[in-house]
Amino acid sequence: MPDCGTSYENEVADGYNIRNVKCSFCNCTILKQKLGKFTTLEFDLPLMKQIGGAYNIETEKVSLFWLVKHMMTFENVGFSNTVDNKKYLTCADCDAGPIGFHDLTTKESFIALSRVTHR
Amino acid sequence: MAKKTYDLLFKLLLIGDSGVGKTCILFRFSDDAFTTTFISTIGIDFKIKTVELRGKKIKLQIWDTAGQERFHTITTSYYRGAMGIMLVYDITNEKSFENIIKWLRNIDEHANEDVEKMILGNKCDMEDKRAVSKERGEAVAREHGIRFMETSAKASINIDRAFNELAEAILDKTAGREPGDHVDRVTVDRRQQSSTTGSCCNK
Ligand SMILES: Nc1nc2c(ncn2[C@@H]2O[C@H](COP(=O)(O)OP(=O)(O)OP(=O)(O)O)[C@@H](O)[C@H]2O)c(=O)[nH]1
Ligand SMILES: [Mg+2]
Ligand SMILES: [Zn+2]
Repeated sequence: MPDCGTSYENEVADGYNIRNVKCSFCNCTILKQKLGKFTTLEFDLPLMKQIGGAYNIETEKVSLFWLVKHMMTFENVGFSNTVDNKKYLTCADCDAGPIGFHDLTTKESFIALSRVTHR
Repeated sequence: MAKKTYDLLFKLLLIGDSGVGKTCILFRFSDDAFTTTFISTIGIDFKIKTVELRGKKIKLQIWDTAGQERFHTITTSYYRGAMGIMLVYDITNEKSFENIIKWLRNIDEHANEDVEKMILGNKCDMEDKRAVSKERGEAVAREHGIRFMETSAKASINIDRAFNELAEAILDKTAGREPGDHVDRVTVDRRQQSSTTGSCCNK
């Protein structure tokens, strides 16, 4: 699910998400509208489906994110165990993920636009 | 945009012997196709879920506890900030049920005295292997004046209901307190996590 090719222009107003952010698999609400700040940065996010097994983590470059400053802003979300000072984010209902990551230093969370649906 | 999106925040812990199903209660796969993902390898530390109870928007922060820990190694810092505890045993494992008493004693010693507790008899989908009757579970709960429910993480029986009930019980207690009282006490860098994960229901 690469970022390119999909246009997200219509999802942003005044720098925030217009619609609710939902899980692509089970429709669980992850983040309510207007609570995620549109942010671009380069991040190698592990693929949701790994083919190579546990020792060969496949990632893809993801660059469009909703930034969430306080974790309690989320409606429903799972935080993984810590890996390299980061926690990966998942759907709280069906555990699909990673849909983004949480930086333990800044305490900021980032949801990848390409890993969720907007409704 | 730092506006408050909820009324109350409850921190909940899952506690109980190794193998009773704590991780499965927190970490449920709706689809077998996901079992080989990155996430199932590293495991879930905690979840944030939003529920609405009596017109109040409540955030639940639910923590799993690491497997190899025993009641005698769990002390005050472990329970810090916890407002609710799910005490889990396995209905197919007599020992895990007997240990509920020891867990309760540990909670009495180390947790906040007004922490709300609930006992869960998990794996109720395994009727053929049952070692602890529902009546015995209910009796222990009654004796200690706490709630009880039989659950199955595997068959998704009573899991959401149990969390709602526990949250409701805490709500009854907190009624009257300032909203957001406990926000400051909740952090993620709780402890270094061991990497004992990957054991879950659909194995
Ligand atoms: N049949 C059945 N099996 C379950 C259920 N919940 C968990 N299990 C199984 O029980 C085993 C242990 O489950 P875990 O969730 O890893 O147990 P735990 O309490 O987290 O154990 P520790 O992390 O060691 O403390 C796994 O093989 C699960 O598949 C359930 O509701 N029904
Ligand atoms: Mg576990
Ligand atoms: Zn989902």
